[in-house]
Amino acid sequence: MTVMSKIEPPVLAVRDLSISYGPLQAVRGVSFSIAPGEAMGLIGESGSGKSSVAYAVMRYIKGQASGEVHVAGQDVMALSEQALGKLRGRTAAMVYQDPMSALNPAIKVGEQIAEAIRLHGRIGKALAWKRGVALLERVHLPRPAEIAHRYPHQLSGGQQQRVVIAMALACDPQLLIMDEPTTGLDVTTEAVILDLVNELRRETGVAVLFISHNMGVVAQVCDRVGVLYAGQLIEEGTTEQVLRQPRHPYTVALMRAMPAIDGPRRRLAAIPGRLPDLRSPPPGCIFTPRCAMATAECESRMPDLANSSGGGHRSRCHYRDEVALRLPPEPLVAEVQLVEARQERPRLQIIAVSKQFRARPALPFMRGPAPVRAVDDVTLDIPPGRTLAVVGESGSGKSTLARCVAGLIVPEDGAIRLENEVLDPLVQKRGRAAQQAVQFVFQNPDAALNPHWTVAEIVGRPMRLYGGQGEGKALRHRIIEQLEAVKLGERYLDLYPREMSGGEKQRVSIARAFAGRPRLVICDEPTSALDISVQAAILNELLALQRENGTSYLFISHDLGVVRHVAHEVAIMRHGRIVESGPPAAVFGDPREEYTRNLIAAIPTLERREAAPALLTA
Amino acid sequence: MSGVALPAHRRIVLPRLGVADLAGAAIVLGMVMLILAGASLSPYSATAFNPMHSLEAPSLAFPFGTDEFGRDVFSRVLAGARPTLLLAVGAAALGVALGTVTGLTAGYRQGPVDETIMRFMDALMSFPGLILAMLVVVMLGPAPINVVAAIALVFWPRSARLVRSIVVDLAHREFIEAARSRGERASFILFRELLPNVLPIIVVDFSLRVTSGVLLAASLAYLGIGVTPPTPAWGLMVRDGQQFIEIAPWLVVFPCLAIALASIGTVLLGERLRHRLALPGGGRAQ
Repeated sequence: MTVMSKIEPPVLAVRDLSISYGPLQAVRGVSFSIAPGEAMGLIGESGSGKSSVAYAVMRYIKGQASGEVHVAGQDVMALSEQALGKLRGRTAAMVYQDPMSALNPAIKVGEQIAEAIRLHGRIGKALAWKRGVALLERVHLPRPAEIAHRYPHQLSGGQQQRVVIAMALACDPQLLIMDEPTTGLDVTTEAVILDLVNELRRETGVAVLFISHNMGVVAQVCDRVGVLYAGQLIEEGTTEQVLRQPRHPYTVALMRAMPAIDGPRRRLAAIPGRLPDLRSPPPGCIFTPRCAMATAECESRMPDLANSSGGGHRSRCHYRDEVALRLPPEPLVAEVQLVEARQERPRLQIIAVSKQFRARPALPFMRGPAPVRAVDDVTLDIPPGRTLAVVGESGSGKSTLARCVAGLIVPEDGAIRLENEVLDPLVQKRGRAAQQAVQFVFQNPDAALNPHWTVAEIVGRPMRLYGGQGEGKALRHRIIEQLEAVKLGERYLDLYPREMSGGEKQRVSIARAFAGRPRLVICDEPTSALDISVQAAILNELLALQRENGTSYLFISHDLGVVRHVAHEVAIMRHGRIVESGPPAAVFGDPREEYTRNLIAAIPTLERREAAPALLTA
Repeated sequence: MSGVALPAHRRIVLPRLGVADLAGAAIVLGMVMLILAGASLSPYSATAFNPMHSLEAPSLAFPFGTDEFGRDVFSRVLAGARPTLLLAVGAAALGVALGTVTGLTAGYRQGPVDETIMRFMDALMSFPGLILAMLVVVMLGPAPINVVAAIALVFWPRSARLVRSIVVDLAHREFIEAARSRGERASFILFRELLPNVLPIIVVDFSLRVTSGVLLAASLAYLGIGVTPPTPAWGLMVRDGQQFIEIAPWLVVFPCLAIALASIGTVLLGERLRHRLALPGGGRAQ
């Protein structure tokens, strides 16, 4: 230990932490520490072990853990259950990804906070309630006294997450562990929560361990960043160092896979291959099979997590100082000009479509609540072979619009026109040709595939249904061909959905959509449930399929970075209306509307933002 | 967070059979044999009187003893399997089949269709099971087919409600939306998309229904409704034997044991089947 650390002992010190679940080595030899008041980010994709590390700090772990974890000087691994109970909540508190499941739906939020306060200090109920209200005010909830009396479902997602943060703050912890605290939230809400975290750090001096898959989010909050891959810490340094001059090829690859909202448009680079089998990790560098600059040495010898030439910047790569030189440069994409496409007859026209949702009254014959205008007089069109992206936050009506086009929801007003034909509002009443022409790719690959069907059945079904693609051997051949088009092969034919990763499932979903040779594919947030590197691959696949088949896309998304990457035309949707539309360069480069500007400003980029945009309604 | 399994790597998992699974399978196998060949396995006739041996205690010659007419109880239990079990299995199959179709339809269509169907089911369910079955048999007459129909009518709304509760959740999944947007017919969505997902539950439900079918059939026979003497149904044997319960308890004990054994066997096997039918790819049931 150095002299410095003796004066100011770290709030969290993790040394050589390893966690295994049976034969699976989820975390291997992870070491890092967090000084008082410091915020450290852990970045990683699914399977990296980032959540296991977070849970190990609180000793909420089911597998076998070895190594040392010290929280405020206490050895967490050696604590008695009783002492552990005191540590949890009082010294270190946790904020989870999904606030809805962290709060008890049947208890008022004020009571839940009071409960957390009383758990660790002997104070009366009334006083605890008062302090709870003060905490709600602390996290900037409007009218805290009133909100304390509400139940979780009566609050928005952003408000719920603020209640969870208030609960975590109940006993003035020295360490906050935040596990993807903004992942389920809209960007504008996310920006507000991130600001809150920064403010709390400034004012209370709480240290933060911030787990995320999103580098932009981490850049907004953290002083230092660690990158986890396959259970190992592969790079660590200040946020500036890691995200600006990454010294590990995996970090570089992650940055290149991330669709950015600013800078020149690049071709997204997917990371080839997949996570190694953690039951028998390779002896050499764990990233070797997917690394663009791997050598024979990488395969045989595992590199140490050692300092590179820039002070305090550690990387687990043999060539840590030459990463920038050795990796091939990034390819750029030329901006596509849309002028010529404008002349063509649009493939799809959405003409003045409106849809209201009416809630049922509490009792029959009573007047129900006012109907919600989910889609309000929307008119859009999509040229052949082009992508129209509809962007909006949750509740903006973008998914309802997509379902109106697909004929799953019947709009009250307006028409959907596919080339020369006005489509029936209900898909079952459309002709076979119209059904075949419009296909859907869903957001959640887990729910979009029937768990009891094999891949061959799933992809083969549209071919059988619409016919004309042969039978028996010929059909099987077509299915394989279709799978190969999405970079899956024959060996997937007999797999069931649960035997595949999220990215593979989404590829099957795309293969199914293209199996009927559609003219329009509706993509409803097709990558929002996927890891960044997988997202890049799926987006590239969609772009390639569009080029080959001349398919038009109606692309629904909340992610402006993704949209900028795939869309020829963008429409911003809010409260059921289109507030602004045009080519992405114009909409993102020079937005006309206040709302669009706020939306763009809220996106967490690698640049630290000073204050949240003025959209504090979250 | 778990590691990523290789997709092409398929393991052939041999089912690990416990004592309970083997016992269940053995009992059900035994029951099937009894249904097929019960009477011919009996050492004595199940109906012929033999006054010389009336009310004898279990012995080597008569392992379950004899009744007041000197009939061998062991032979009667063996022969009684068919009338009791066939009724139970038939009624369970009919009831669960009706319940499945109704539950699938109500859960998938929702709205007014759902309301209409389910309120009708509620009406049926508001009758206590045994009373409803009695009413139906009394109205239709005591033929075995009527007993099957009566018990199935008791099972129908209960199965329908169970299946509907699962389908209501499944119907909002994206794979159902995908099928609809493809233009699939409703019957395809019900039987090809939804049915495999509720099948594990249906199988368990069926095994439980067979169990309560055995009990209901026995109860009806016990009340003297449906099966008529001298058919050696288990319920009937309990009824006839209970007047001698103090001097010849074997008249009641052995048919009761048979009822209990049949019930336990179907439940054990049903539980096993549920695990086998759960998600393909080595998954467990939800």
